[in-house]
Amino acid sequence: MAASLQDIQRRIASTKKTRQITSAMQMVSTAKLSQIQRHGGSYTTYANALHDVVAHLANAHINNVSGTLLEQRDVKKVGFLVISSDRGLVGGYNSTLLKGMMAVIEERQLTPDQVVILAVGGNASDFFKKRGFNVAYEYRGVSDVPTFNEVREIVKTVTTMYDNEVFDELTVAYQHFVSRIQNDLRLEKMLPVTTDDMEPTEEGGLKADYEMDPSPEQILGVVLPQYAESLVYGAILDAKTAEHAASANAMSSATDNAKEVINTLELQFNRARQSAITTEITEITGGMAALD
Amino acid sequence: MNEHSLHVKVVTPNGVVFDYETATLVVLSTTGGEVGVMANHAPIISALKVSEVKIVDEANGVEERLAVSGGFAEFSSNVLTVVSDAAERAADIDVTRAESAKERAERRLAEESSVRDVERAQVALLRAVNRIHVATGK
Repeated sequence: MAASLQDIQRRIASTKKTRQITSAMQMVSTAKLSQIQRHGGSYTTYANALHDVVAHLANAHINNVSGTLLEQRDVKKVGFLVISSDRGLVGGYNSTLLKGMMAVIEERQLTPDQVVILAVGGNASDFFKKRGFNVAYEYRGVSDVPTFNEVREIVKTVTTMYDNEVFDELTVAYQHFVSRIQNDLRLEKMLPVTTDDMEPTEEGGLKADYEMDPSPEQILGVVLPQYAESLVYGAILDAKTAEHAASANAMSSATDNAKEVINTLELQFNRARQSAITTEITEITGGMAALD
Repeated sequence: MNEHSLHVKVVTPNGVVFDYETATLVVLSTTGGEVGVMANHAPIISALKVSEVKIVDEANGVEERLAVSGGFAEFSSNVLTVVSDAAERAADIDVTRAESAKERAERRLAEESSVRDVERAQVALLRAVNRIHVATGK
């Protein structure tokens, strides 16, 4: 019998409070998750419309036009846009992402000076700075349901840096939302834009024979940056969705753990109480026996 | 939808902001100049300027104007899809906010020296002016 009755009682009270907080946080995350999922639905319409046009242009063999985002350059520097979260309490969300990133860098045998990191979220930024990587851009404080306007700054910076040849290839690393209980690490090469394996979306894509106004090349000049921006925005949305799911999960298991801890503590408390009563009774009967 | 009307959809990352099934005429400002699209137009893809999109429904006397910030329009089988990263209906535009955005952009234009910032401020100015124009007709 280690802890005193009062100690156990105090621990029970504090664990109960923790449980209350974690279960509240779980509910908040779940609410945010359904909010962002609704938003993601309306974004999909936009992404599909863009995708169809790009796929159509690609099928018309308007390919590898120099000076556009389709142009393949010699890769001297590899850019990674890493989308992490700002805060913790999201389970393995960040650590899986960062571990995966390090594995990729190692696998491709890139030295820190060949890598340009663009970090969204404080976790990634701190992580790579500590390891001596070149963090060319960082953005903190993406809101819970990011609008396109809000992330426009990130998206524009990324494409401008690419245009200015800060890096010659961009891979976006983020956690893809699979379901409420599963996230997958995803690494997608987004720049230069590749159209080789582009399939039309489910709605069947575009089939008509289009007039291009002013010219196909100029249309590409407008559509491709917009397409690249929408890809990056899509990745950020997806990552945020995954973050809310991860957070809801982490908090629900924290709540479950707290319940278990409380159960054990209550058992301990009852045992301690009983043994205290037994001692008291023994003392009283002992005292009576002494009087007789 | 009858044979003299077309379906107009304006799509942005925040969803479909405008969906109208019985338009008779849509006026677009493309990078090559103004284009009017009516029903049964040949399939076309064209790049848009930061400009106004006017949708007219003569049969019902409806006229709607939207401010779009670039993007492109795609027309086929009587459906016109405008895909832009931002679009607002004239009635939804907050003119005071647009005015302050305009002032901010002008101030930045006067102060900034680097080419990139100037370009950015010019785009912002263009957007603000366009929104004010669509909302107030000025």
